[in-house]
Amino acid sequence: MKKLLSNARFAGVFALALLLSACARNPVLLGSTYETLAPLVENRDVPFFAQSEYQCGPATLAMVLNYQGVDTSVDELIPQVFLPGREGSVQPEMLATVRRHHKLAYPIRGTMDALLKHLAAGDPVVVMQNLSLPVYPMWHYAVAIGFDLPNETLVLRSGERRRHTLAFSRFDATWARSDRWGFIVADPGTLPEGISVRNALEAISAYEEVHGPQAALSSWQALVQRYPDSAMGQFALGNALYADQQPSEAIAAFRAATQQDSQMGAAWLNLGMVLLQEDRLDEARNALIEAAAIEGSWQARAQGVLEEM
Amino acid sequence: MKTLRAYLSTLLIAALVITSLPVAAAPAAPQSMDLVSTQSALANDRAGADRERINEILARADVQEQLLKQGVDLDEVDARVAALSDAEAQQMAQQLEQLPAGAGGVVGALFAVFIILLITDILGLTDVYPFTR
Repeated sequence: MKKLLSNARFAGVFALALLLSACARNPVLLGSTYETLAPLVENRDVPFFAQSEYQCGPATLAMVLNYQGVDTSVDELIPQVFLPGREGSVQPEMLATVRRHHKLAYPIRGTMDALLKHLAAGDPVVVMQNLSLPVYPMWHYAVAIGFDLPNETLVLRSGERRRHTLAFSRFDATWARSDRWGFIVADPGTLPEGISVRNALEAISAYEEVHGPQAALSSWQALVQRYPDSAMGQFALGNALYADQQPSEAIAAFRAATQQDSQMGAAWLNLGMVLLQEDRLDEARNALIEAAAIEGSWQARAQGVLEEM
Repeated sequence: MKTLRAYLSTLLIAALVITSLPVAAAPAAPQSMDLVSTQSALANDRAGADRERINEILARADVQEQLLKQGVDLDEVDARVAALSDAEAQQMAQQLEQLPAGAGGVVGALFAVFIILLITDILGLTDVYPFTR
């Protein structure tokens, strides 16, 4: 009976594998990607740290952090990110550990096209793969450093292999099992090309939670420069400028936020409160009237501040 | 821990409800002039802001406990919890057991599994055994 069961399971998995193999042969890249990117890209400056057993998380972090000028080692990173009970490292802590070393961790869009564009821009990308099948997972982190477009292969620093080449289709099959998760490490004040505004907002906000608004100021400036029409970006910049004792610049940023999104109550409220502190009473009242009229979480507070004026 | 958690939740709900009441209800208290933080504006953008804030506050204590249980050194636990954003702390607290843990270890597998992965490797679906290429 046991044997029968295991045979049935084997047959099932085999059938599933055949089914999946149909997907694996689909083209994974857009035509425009082939036309715009250089055929051969490889960032050879990314250092290699071989992983010991189960330590691919600390090893990949050592590679990207050292590449960004942080002097650290696998041994130093193990107690910071490895979970002995799980014999591995989890995604939130991978991002958090980057921040502990005063760098930002920007998640990328989960597509092969986005990945290759980041590599073409010279940014190494930490990717999470399931090298095995979903029923028998083998989760793994590696650093993608380049590609060969004509041969459709990706180049990675992976595990014990300094230069691991993988067919796009095979890599994408393993990457898809992590919902194509990956991130780039960057210095404060720089925003890698191609990061979405939402991912950038969350990444900088998380950095600000740990290191404070002044440390995040240059990153907010980079975000607003790239995405000047993001109301949340302007709002965040306003908060960081205010914390950095630059009230007039903060007022300009909050005003820009309200111009991008006239229904953003938090921006009107902060604008009103900073104007009030600067004794610009007429302007403050106008901003607070706007804030008090917008339904939502900040309405009550705006009404309160307005009444006290 | 359960009862402590329930007690804390009630307390936090009460605190949040009271602080969010209009000032008219408490005319004596001076209005705070602290700006709305970027983090609370972003959290407000996500769904269910108030409940999320309660969960985020509770999450850190949970994560701390779970990291200890997973064998993290006592003197590292605080620094690791502090490095998480509120949203990440909540994710860790709710689903640490389910989160995939990247390890990249060698598969010491049953023969049947070995054969299956060998076939899927050859088909180009997995990347377990280097010798298949």
